[in-house]
Amino acid sequence: MLHLLRHPILRRLVQAFFVAFLLMVFAFLLIRLIPGDPAMILLGDTATEADLIAYRKLLGIDGSLLEQFGRYVFNLARGDFGISIRSREPILSIVKKRLPVSLWLTATTIIMTVALALPLGVVAALCRRTWFGHAFQIGASLLVATPVFFSGLVLVLLFAVQTDLAPIAGYRPGFPGNLYSLWLPALTINCVLTPVLARILQSSIIETTDEEFVEAAIIRGTQGWRFYWRYLLRPSLAPTVAALGYFAATVVSYSVIIEIIFNLPGVGMTLVDAVRNRDYPLVQGIVFLSGLLVVSLTFMADLVNGWLDPRAKIR
Amino acid sequence: MTGGLRVWRQLNAESRWGLAILLSILALSIFVPLLSPNDPYGFVDLPLQAPSTAFPFGTDHLGRDLLVRVFAAARLDIALAILGVSVPIALGTFIGTLAGTTRNRLAETVWDGLVNALTAFPEIILVLGIVAMVGADIRGLLIAIWISRWAQYARIARAKSLALREAEFVQAAHVLGYSRLRILSRHIMPNVFSEAIAYALSDFIFIIVIIGGLSFLGLGVRPPTPEWGAMLAEGRLYLRTEPWLILCPGFFLSLTAIGVALLARGLERISKGEEA
Repeated sequence: MLHLLRHPILRRLVQAFFVAFLLMVFAFLLIRLIPGDPAMILLGDTATEADLIAYRKLLGIDGSLLEQFGRYVFNLARGDFGISIRSREPILSIVKKRLPVSLWLTATTIIMTVALALPLGVVAALCRRTWFGHAFQIGASLLVATPVFFSGLVLVLLFAVQTDLAPIAGYRPGFPGNLYSLWLPALTINCVLTPVLARILQSSIIETTDEEFVEAAIIRGTQGWRFYWRYLLRPSLAPTVAALGYFAATVVSYSVIIEIIFNLPGVGMTLVDAVRNRDYPLVQGIVFLSGLLVVSLTFMADLVNGWLDPRAKIR
Repeated sequence: MTGGLRVWRQLNAESRWGLAILLSILALSIFVPLLSPNDPYGFVDLPLQAPSTAFPFGTDHLGRDLLVRVFAAARLDIALAILGVSVPIALGTFIGTLAGTTRNRLAETVWDGLVNALTAFPEIILVLGIVAMVGADIRGLLIAIWISRWAQYARIARAKSLALREAEFVQAAHVLGYSRLRILSRHIMPNVFSEAIAYALSDFIFIIVIIGGLSFLGLGVRPPTPEWGAMLAEGRLYLRTEPWLILCPGFFLSLTAIGVALLARGLERISKGEEA
C-alpha cells in the first residue's frame, strides 16, 4: 500500500484529501468558536429552555463534542450540509441555486485574465528594455495595489454611469446575455490578476531565453511561430498555469466583494447575507465548500503543470 | 535626524517614493484633523457640496467635511493595519520556529497539512467566516485577521529555522549547554524575524484591503466612524451625481497601498543587492 504513495500524483491526491479533512475540521470548529451559546445569541434572553434545546439541535451543537463531530461527518458524507436557520432550506440547495452566477463570473474572469495576460506578458518580456517595459512595470505595481472595491467603483463610474456599455448593477441569467452584466465585474478582478499573471509569465520567459535549448534552437535556425511556441512560450507556461490554479482562491475571495458591488446574486452575496443574518450553518457550509473548491482546483493545476513542463516534478 | 538622512541615502528611487508617500499621508492624517476646525463626526454645512475652497473634498450626505473624515480615516486604517500585522508576525514566527526546531516526524506531517489547509481557504471567505462567529465589528475583524494570517509567517519562520538549526553558531550554543528556550529566543528568533518583516510589508497591503473590504461590506468598522471602506460604501449611493464621495477616500486608500508596495519592492531590490 505504502509503495503506491511514491507515485507523485497519488501522493498529491492523498495530501489533497488530508487538507480537505482538515478543512472539514476547521469548518466544524467555526461554530464552536462563538463566544457564549449560539442558540442564546440567536433567540435572545426571552427564549424558553425548550426553544433553546430545539435550536441547539438545529445547529448540531447538542451532545458531546465527539458526538457532534461524528454526526457532522456522517451528514456530510450523505451530502447533508445542514439547514439555513433563516430560510430553513438545505444549504446545498441554496448553494446550488447561487453557484451558476459565481461560476460564470469565475470563468469569465479567468478567460479574460488569460486573454489579457498572455500577450501582455510576452510583449513585456520581449520589449523589456523599451518604454513599454517600464510603463508595464509601473502600471502593474499601481494596479495591483489598488483595492478591488475602489477600482470596481471607478470602472462603474467610467463604463456604466458615463456610457451604457454595462449595467450599473444586477444580473440577467442566460448565456450570452449574461456577459453584458459580467464583463465589468470580471474586468475589475482582472485589475489585480492580469498584472500579476503577466509579470509571472514575463519573468519565466526571460528565464527561458537564457536556457541552452533556446540557444540551440536559434543556432539550428528555428524561426517563426514554431520557435515562439515550442521553445519560448510552452516551457515558460508552467509557472503561469500553476499561478492560475492558485488564482482560483483569489477569484473566489474577491468575487465576494465584487458580487456586492455589482449586485450579482452569487455565492459570495449569499455568504455576506448569511454573515449579516448570523446564519451560522450557512456560513459554515459556504466556507467549507469554497475551501474544497480551491483544494480541488489547485490539485488540477498541479496535474496540468506536470503535463506542460516535464521538468517540473509534482512535489 | 542624521540617522534618518543616512538611511534615506541608502534607499533606491522606489523605496524613496514609497516612504515619501507614506510619510506625507501619515503627516496629513495627524495634522488635518488636529488643525481643522471641523469635527469628523459633526455636521458643518449643507450636505453633498462639490469640492470648493472652504471644503476641498466637498461635504458628504450628512453635511460632514469630507477632508477631515478622509484623514481621520487614514489614522484609523493605518493603526488597525499595524495592529493586524504585528500579532500574526509574533504568533506565526514563534509557532514556526518551534515547529522548525522540533525533530518529530509526525509533528512535521501534521504541521504541513495544518498550514496548507489554513492557506487553502480563500482569504476573504475565511475572514468572513470568523467575523460571522466572533462578531461583525472592529474586535471581530482584528481577531479574524490574526487567526487567518499567522500561517504564512509560520511557514517562513519554519523554513528559516530549519536552515538555522544546522548553523554553526546554533550548534555552538548547544555545545555551551544553553537551554532550548534560550537558543530559540536569543539565537534563532532574531534571525527569523528579519525575513518575516520583509513579508509583513506585502501582508500590510493585503490587511489594509481586508479592513477596507469588510467595512465596505458593512461587517467591519461601522459608520459613523470614519474608515475608508465604510466611506466608500456610503458614497456608493451617490456615485452617479457626487462621485467625489468615493474618489477622495478611494484615492488615499489606494495611495497608501501603493506607497507600501513601492517601499516593499524597493527594499526587496536593495536586499538582493541590485542597483537603484
